[in-house]
Amino acid sequence: MKAHDPEHESAKKHVTGRSVFVNDIETGPGQLLARVVYSKHAHARIKYIDVSEAAGVPGIAAILTAKDIPGKNQLGPVVHDEPCLAQGEVTFAGQAVVLIAADNENAALEAERFIRIEYLPLDAVLTLREAIAKETLIAPPRYIRRGDAAGMMEKAPLKLEGILETGAQEHWYLETQSALAVPGEGREMTICASSQNPSETQAFVAEVLGIPRHEVDVEVRRMGGAFGGKETQANHVAAWAALLANATGRPVKIHLFRDDDQIMTGKRHRFLSTYRIGFNDEGRILAYEVELNSDAGAATDLSLAILERAMFHAENAYYIPDINITGRAFRTNLPSNTAFRGFGGPQGMAVIENAIDRIARLLKKDAAAIRKLNFYGINESNIAPYGAQILNNRLHIIYDRLMKSSGYEIRRREVEAFNEMNRCKKHGLALTPVKFGISFTTGFLNQAGALVNIYKDGTIQVNHGGTEMGQGLHTKILGIAAAESGVSAKHIKVSATNTSKVPNTSATAASSGSDLNGMAVKNAFDALKARLKPVACAELLKAGAKDPYHDGIVFAEDAVFAANEPEIRISFQELVMAAYLAQVSLSATGFYKTPGIHYNRETGRGNPFYYYAYGMAVSEVEVDVLTGMYRLLRSDILHDVGDSLNEAIDIGQIQGGFIQGVGWCTTEEIKWDDKGRLLSHSPDTYKIPTVSDIPEVFNVELLRDHPNEGTIRKSKAVGEPPFMLAFSVWLAIKDAISATGGHRFEPHFSLPATAEVVLLSIEEISKKIENRNETDPSPFINEEKIP
Amino acid sequence: MTASGNKVRFLLNNQLMEVDFSWESTLLPSVTVLNYLRSLPGYKGVKEGCAEGDCGACTVVIAEAVGGGLVYKTLDSCLLFLPALHNKQLITVEHLADNDHLHPVQAAMVAHNGSQCGYCTPGIVMSLFGLYKNHSAPDRKVIEQALAGNLCRCTGYQSIISAAAEVCKSRDYDKFAASASGITARLEAMKTGIPLELLTNRQRYYKPFNLDDALRCRREVPEAQVVAGATDLALRQTKKRELLPVLLDISDVEALKYFTESPEGYTIGAGLSIESLRQSCAAGLPALKNMLDWFGSLQIRNVATLGGNIASASPIGDTLPLLYAYDVWVKLQSAYSERMVPVGDFITGYRKTCLRPDELITAVFIPKPRPGTIVASYKVSKRRDMDISTVSAGFSLDSRNGTVTQIVLAYGGMAAQTVRAVKTEQFLTGRAWSFPVIREAMAILEKEFTPLSDTRAGAAYRSLTARNLLLKFYEETEGEAG
Repeated sequence: MKAHDPEHESAKKHVTGRSVFVNDIETGPGQLLARVVYSKHAHARIKYIDVSEAAGVPGIAAILTAKDIPGKNQLGPVVHDEPCLAQGEVTFAGQAVVLIAADNENAALEAERFIRIEYLPLDAVLTLREAIAKETLIAPPRYIRRGDAAGMMEKAPLKLEGILETGAQEHWYLETQSALAVPGEGREMTICASSQNPSETQAFVAEVLGIPRHEVDVEVRRMGGAFGGKETQANHVAAWAALLANATGRPVKIHLFRDDDQIMTGKRHRFLSTYRIGFNDEGRILAYEVELNSDAGAATDLSLAILERAMFHAENAYYIPDINITGRAFRTNLPSNTAFRGFGGPQGMAVIENAIDRIARLLKKDAAAIRKLNFYGINESNIAPYGAQILNNRLHIIYDRLMKSSGYEIRRREVEAFNEMNRCKKHGLALTPVKFGISFTTGFLNQAGALVNIYKDGTIQVNHGGTEMGQGLHTKILGIAAAESGVSAKHIKVSATNTSKVPNTSATAASSGSDLNGMAVKNAFDALKARLKPVACAELLKAGAKDPYHDGIVFAEDAVFAANEPEIRISFQELVMAAYLAQVSLSATGFYKTPGIHYNRETGRGNPFYYYAYGMAVSEVEVDVLTGMYRLLRSDILHDVGDSLNEAIDIGQIQGGFIQGVGWCTTEEIKWDDKGRLLSHSPDTYKIPTVSDIPEVFNVELLRDHPNEGTIRKSKAVGEPPFMLAFSVWLAIKDAISATGGHRFEPHFSLPATAEVVLLSIEEISKKIENRNETDPSPFINEEKIP
Repeated sequence: MTASGNKVRFLLNNQLMEVDFSWESTLLPSVTVLNYLRSLPGYKGVKEGCAEGDCGACTVVIAEAVGGGLVYKTLDSCLLFLPALHNKQLITVEHLADNDHLHPVQAAMVAHNGSQCGYCTPGIVMSLFGLYKNHSAPDRKVIEQALAGNLCRCTGYQSIISAAAEVCKSRDYDKFAASASGITARLEAMKTGIPLELLTNRQRYYKPFNLDDALRCRREVPEAQVVAGATDLALRQTKKRELLPVLLDISDVEALKYFTESPEGYTIGAGLSIESLRQSCAAGLPALKNMLDWFGSLQIRNVATLGGNIASASPIGDTLPLLYAYDVWVKLQSAYSERMVPVGDFITGYRKTCLRPDELITAVFIPKPRPGTIVASYKVSKRRDMDISTVSAGFSLDSRNGTVTQIVLAYGGMAAQTVRAVKTEQFLTGRAWSFPVIREAMAILEKEFTPLSDTRAGAAYRSLTARNLLLKFYEETEGEAG
């Protein structure tokens, strides 16, 4: 931690149990709790719903169905294809049908037993393969193309083709979806939400209640984790709570039970991607054709933006002259899949990273060297497939430093030696890069607002449009506010996010929270300082300063002084009081929009990102050849955050994002039954990493001395990019599997690489070895190689 | 029964609490400690993350007076019935700091940036507090064991490990150490030995403290569901939302908590916690220690018992295959009788046993392995820690001059109950303990079972793993076998 970095602004509250989450708020004895009755069918017509008996259960305050919604029955954030409560038909198992408000949980559970819903089951699409076969596209396919990929593919000396399946992922925020709705006078409604997007929550609450947005206040103090899972899906619980509060006139709280949360909410999109890659015998990629097919689930939600980001990251860190990227999103009868850290980026990158791994195996070269060979260039080969120039490329510097600091070359030889010596255990090693575009790819979302209030006692309250979900945004904002005002962090408070303080905000998403809101906060402080400077000059003159105008006024160390006379000072508190008496406004808004962002979806051309964040990881694993289980021996990460806004927070984001990625790549497996009902609906069967799943040696370093010009304090976004560094673990596991066949066979592989996937892959290789004619002269067998 | 109490009495931090259960009581005696705490004003620090003991957000620490001192245990309050607190001190996260003066484990978490969203943090802090009270200078393995029952989705754990390592480096003298003798005396004074009978109109809850009372209660109330650690049973209440109408809680019957060694073998009280057993069995029963290292989490091991694990007769119970390999006997007692039953006879089917309604499992007897017998245990799961096994195995091998004289290959996860690979055992008996023979045996073994595909894994994986574990056993014993 840098000496002047503030600690996490809520750290002391967290460790003493005093930080307040939505479920911890009690409004008083009249508060009701809500229960959501959801569909057990993936696709069915609702023949009838009878709640009359349930309504008579003691302790029941209200039971609502779609027909009781006073406003619009609509929660789709982009396309209006998602009802608040099912009407006429259900399109996935877990879809909300009936809402209950009760005095207590037992009453709600009792009432649920008396609700009768009769369904007529309909055909359901439950797998991506089936959706592709039936062409259940939610929108026309999208394309990004450069050059003549198909033609170049024919000319390329070597080619590979293949299919890669990447799995869904459950967010598993520790705090399940929650909301508290408190009715006010008239049509007012206040929502305490656990939402990444309070403005959108406000909009939907207003929409379902049929009231204007100015009647609805949404406040978000903090979320107990979100990771994208509360970008749109938090709107649902808020709308449900608001409907019940509106119907009963009493505060209503929803806190989803863990299993219900897992069953009802969408996940990371699973993808089924096909590709062809053409290259030369050096390993240089000449052409790449990839089709990214995603499982959108039952509604559109953010699926098209997620698909688009997958397409933008299909080439990851590599310059590919002729490239053809196709993206398709398909409707299935599963909960609508949604934002999740990386937002499609991981799904797009996984394909190219696996393809490069195959190239290296085919050419008997180290995959790291093939990666390096294909990196975007500094001065040439630096145009992305969508036409943007890749500026300030950090790939080469990071690669060189990390190869050295991780001891990659020596360890490669050690891994080989270990594998020679051991039959039942194999080691694997891999380096993977990430180049991640920063900005909302929907251009207009790149805006933020702030409201800074200075009070007469000299303390400052900062409000901004971003939300705190654990990522440390408020702590970074606190640091920015302290640096901009010269006031110590202890006199500044970053308040809960509230739609009545800063309106019309974008979601805290796309890793952009501090980039956008930090700038807005800075702009608010700039406005305040401009107003305070004349007051400061006048006060400094009174205090004996000779020419405070000459070199300007400095705000620092809880005081103001003239740059040329730093010994004559007025405390910030005195300055504020003087300004108040001089009738100067002590409250200012700030606003920021990212410049230069544009993208044309029709042509697949534009400049969708303000800049890119870079990182690389080297990971080593040990695989038990007999069980498929594995351990992470070591990971070394070097990551680029520009000039860090707060090193401890940034390192925490890198470590946490990486391990979340490791979970997606290894043990987190989601299964549904053949009726579309979620099987892995609790932590009993859905396994996120524990403390013993992290690398035994875990070195995380920030790339120093590479400031990012044009952003708040020359920093870079950090939330999502490190997630994708987990491919180093995924491909290290593959390297270890490959070692069981002396790297002569391409392992069958998918994501997540559970112990089951690993063992079955090893078994397949050992069968190939057994079945192979010993006199077969062919040095390499690659089943998926194009003849 | 002559005298009984209907008040659950415990210290909530430093405050004496008496929860009175009368016939009209609206509070269910088996209310979980989590729900009880969160219903009180000022105790919202404890969080529900899963209500099944998998995430640890609800971790609390309980201090018990034992042998003149205090023993601190971390527990999942979501699986803990309120009467489990009787005569104990419940320590919650709110109690660690004194106003702004943080407890050392809290200060370390702040200094190492160990919290991000903060939702899992109170539970992590309580696990660190338990670690701090029980270990000084713990190694990485001990730290991992202390935290494996606490899921965090934000940090990636590295900062929490650093906090743990630093704060436990030197054994500090915290306020709990200062007040330990006073608390011990208060808890000792609370112990009357009078059984609890919490009879409410929705549930009857019996909690005896000695074996005679327990067996008498078992005979008089045979319909009662027996509760030991409740780590399995509580799920019926918290997850399946069942009302458990009659409960007999034997978790504090002191006479069931022991581990003794005799020339013939080891006798383990059925009520001994898995964690105590894990710490006692390392020297004589290393295969058992190995299995228990991966059993649940510390929060689970602190309350779960060997008796409970056997009684639940789960096809995926971690210990059962190994107990088959050890050829253990289960001691069943009623008020008027006792008998010893081999574990293989005790379990009669999927979650079925031969336990009679008036009997309790009171002990497990593990015969000393014969000289030269090799016993091994294996657990295969999707995630190493805090996961239920996909396949588990317990093997024992006797051999003479390189020839197998007796072998037990017992598996969990392959059928509706723990099963032995009888055909493979027969094949191996009398044959050489050698690689070619093992290869043949593996082919037999692969076909011996028809396991299910389920959420945890597919049938093919289970069959392959079962087969490969035999090879693993061979690889590990090649040099050792007689």
